Amino acid sequence: MLEAAVRSSMVKKLGKIVGSESVSTNQADLYIYSQDMTPAEPSWPDMVVLPKSAGEVQAIVRLANKERIPVTPQVAGENIGGLTIPLKGGILLDLKRMDRIIEVNETDMYAVVEPGVTFGHIKAYLEKHHPDLIYTYAFSPHSTSILANALVQGLDNLSFRYGAASGWVGGLEVILPTGELVKIGSCAVSKGWQALVPLPELAGLFLGWQGTTGIVTKMAVSLWPRPKHLVGLNFQSMDWDGTYELLWTLSRTRIPDDVIALSYPYVQMSKLAKAEHKKVSLYPAQTTKPGEPEMVITVEISGNTKNELNTKVEVVEETVKEQLKDFELIGPQISPSKTASYPEQALGILSSGGGLTWVGCYGPMSNWLETAKKGCALQDKYELSRSCYTRIMKEGHFVGLRWMLPFDKGDPEMVKRIRALCSEQLDMVLEMGYIPYKTPFWAIRTLEERAGPDWVKLHRRVKKMLDPNNILNPGRWGAPQE
Amino acid sequence: MGLDDVKEWLYGCTHCGTCKDVLGLFIPSCPAGERFNLESYFPSGKIFIARAVSEGRLSLDDDDIRDRIYACTGCLSCQQQCGAYHHEHIFEIVQALRTEAVTRGFLHPAYMLIYYGLRKDDNVFGKPKAERGDWAKDSAVKYAAQEKVDVLYHAGCMLSFDPELWEVPKSAIDIMKAAGVDVGIMGREETCCGGRAYEIGYTGEFTKYAQHCLETFNTLGVNKVVTSCSDGYSTFKTLYPKLDIEPKFEVLHIVEYLDQLIKGGRIKFTREVPLKVTYHDPCHLGRHVSPGVYEPPRDILKSIPGIELIEMERIRENAWCCGAGSGVKQAVPEFALWTANERLKEAKATGATALVTSCPWCERNFKDAVKEYGIEIEVYDIAEITRKAI
Repeated sequence: MLEAAVRSSMVKKLGKIVGSESVSTNQADLYIYSQDMTPAEPSWPDMVVLPKSAGEVQAIVRLANKERIPVTPQVAGENIGGLTIPLKGGILLDLKRMDRIIEVNETDMYAVVEPGVTFGHIKAYLEKHHPDLIYTYAFSPHSTSILANALVQGLDNLSFRYGAASGWVGGLEVILPTGELVKIGSCAVSKGWQALVPLPELAGLFLGWQGTTGIVTKMAVSLWPRPKHLVGLNFQSMDWDGTYELLWTLSRTRIPDDVIALSYPYVQMSKLAKAEHKKVSLYPAQTTKPGEPEMVITVEISGNTKNELNTKVEVVEETVKEQLKDFELIGPQISPSKTASYPEQALGILSSGGGLTWVGCYGPMSNWLETAKKGCALQDKYELSRSCYTRIMKEGHFVGLRWMLPFDKGDPEMVKRIRALCSEQLDMVLEMGYIPYKTPFWAIRTLEERAGPDWVKLHRRVKKMLDPNNILNPGRWGAPQE
Repeated sequence: MGLDDVKEWLYGCTHCGTCKDVLGLFIPSCPAGERFNLESYFPSGKIFIARAVSEGRLSLDDDDIRDRIYACTGCLSCQQQCGAYHHEHIFEIVQALRTEAVTRGFLHPAYMLIYYGLRKDDNVFGKPKAERGDWAKDSAVKYAAQEKVDVLYHAGCMLSFDPELWEVPKSAIDIMKAAGVDVGIMGREETCCGGRAYEIGYTGEFTKYAQHCLETFNTLGVNKVVTSCSDGYSTFKTLYPKLDIEPKFEVLHIVEYLDQLIKGGRIKFTREVPLKVTYHDPCHLGRHVSPGVYEPPRDILKSIPGIELIEMERIRENAWCCGAGSGVKQAVPEFALWTANERLKEAKATGATALVTSCPWCERNFKDAVKEYGIEIEVYDIAEITRKAI
């Protein structure tokens, strides 16, 4: 925490930049911004500042850099990694007021957005003004920032095709920790924001860095043609081997837009939370009864014409029938596409008492089966219902995997249980070659121990080069050795 | 109701932000959050404040913290958007904080005026009780305390004491009389319904008025109590059942009653009202009651010759608040006007030349916002518009 005199002086100076109404040292605000839905320990900022423009962000960062005061950028804070809890206090930079959709280029299919643009906003905007284009959606509430989702390499409903969300970034405008404003990608040398290539990919200095190397004030994200015909296919797989075989088979067809597998107990819990607005809990565990599936797999397919859609569905059906003839599988059952319902209220994971966390990771398909099983076995050990969630990424080149852990923040025993489980799951996934995305700071240290020393040196050098005074979201990636 | 009474709901919120926008439209739903932008002003923020106060991490001693809880209009839009298991209890949590503040001796100056106004003159404005029935001086209307009537018209505090709004109750009476309704009023004997007291944390005062009104209405033997005030309506419908007094009368909002009278052929429109209007759903007539009263006002407007009804984007259960509710008009007037102006902008954007509503608190705040911000749009109560057609 800052000395009172320093804080007071900063508040005055920040007030001159953004207006006094957009600076707060109110204890209620500091309390709220000190935590998120994960069981991460709270850490209070000294003040909260809400800029409206890149110019204001620049001025704030220059001031903070001069005074050596930490700055933690945030929009919704829904990253399930504690990433925007200000570990060293200082300024919590709430970017929600920067909420413009600056440009939508229909021909080149991209949108240039500010950090405060959410999944809900982009959906409404495109439906109204550019109905032939869509953006992708994360499995998160509509108030999530699309820019932040891309920065932390999230997984979305077009990830089967295009990989992690950082993969469809076409350009950035970044405020460096030393206050310079830099454009990255084609926008650096032209008016277009269509692609990062064919220039040196400097975006890699900011994507995946959790706001520790720069504050992104604009981002170009890819848009896609709105599919005319959509359908969902549901499968129920009775065992793990069948699930793996199905996921592999679906990936090889290259047909789906999205493939998700969920533990059956979790699916049932979600339905209850959504339909009846009830409080749900993973504890005590609801086990799978005989005759119930291990996993539920949902597949989204689209077509330009009904004919194309039907053909794709036929191919999937025939391929699955052939490849999985030795496995116990129910389906596919045809259902309406879920795409239209995105973004969701996500009640299934938000109805357990204020808490949500997971060890979410990306890793190879080749280790999926064993890793998923081990993760669920750990849930069994801690007497929690199985809640495995997996999403096929980039047509099977890698997968997203997590065990969703909604919990009651008001129950200290449950918090302990969840923390212990996460710790064991982290060790397990690392052993299996999976890497946590949106890596919480406590997992970064573990990862650094596994990474080669030169990798560690390189990423710290990058951080030091860009942020010599270590003001941006300190304590995370690139943190100097303590 | 204190914090102990809402304990089970304090941990439901994950701070997911769903409460900030209207689902599906993804445009703002929370006036306080939208105005002030700080997380403590959003519904999730207020839940977190309640959690922290109950854990002893924050104190209501802090003026600035209390400002957050006074800046809630009680519109219940958050409860509409949030789907988690605590969603029906968000405003209860805010009210519990307000009650807690009162219990601990922290009294907002504006609330003190409301409180002393009620204690002294049975109204939230502190105006002389003897003037309560002045709006009806020129109306030949029965006084229910003196002669039996079938329908009691409850004007409410705002309509009783704001001369600029007297056309509303007068129009309501005129229409009912034209329809042959045996209607009367309490005049200066009328008291506040107690609803505002409840919302600002003075539950004792609420109980006193609720008991008084229920016993009075029952004793009068009226079949119906009809009101133009949506706050009063929701108080009668949703708060009075908390008391153990069986009401022997039906409660109707004027829009419900007029709609019945029109459909029953008892009201004949003889004049055209050539006006392009849009309709504002008062929170206390919509989200505060179940089911919300959304169709009757629209049916009324559509049945008036010459009226063209154009809808705003945020309507019915997703309506943006007028900004006046829950003590905000008195406690945070600048915010109340800002909220109203946001609604006026939305109304103007439809192309309508008039905004019609069915709550005097909404009408008052919209009219004040027109004066403050200068948007060119007329503001009417539905009874005023209906009266023009008779």
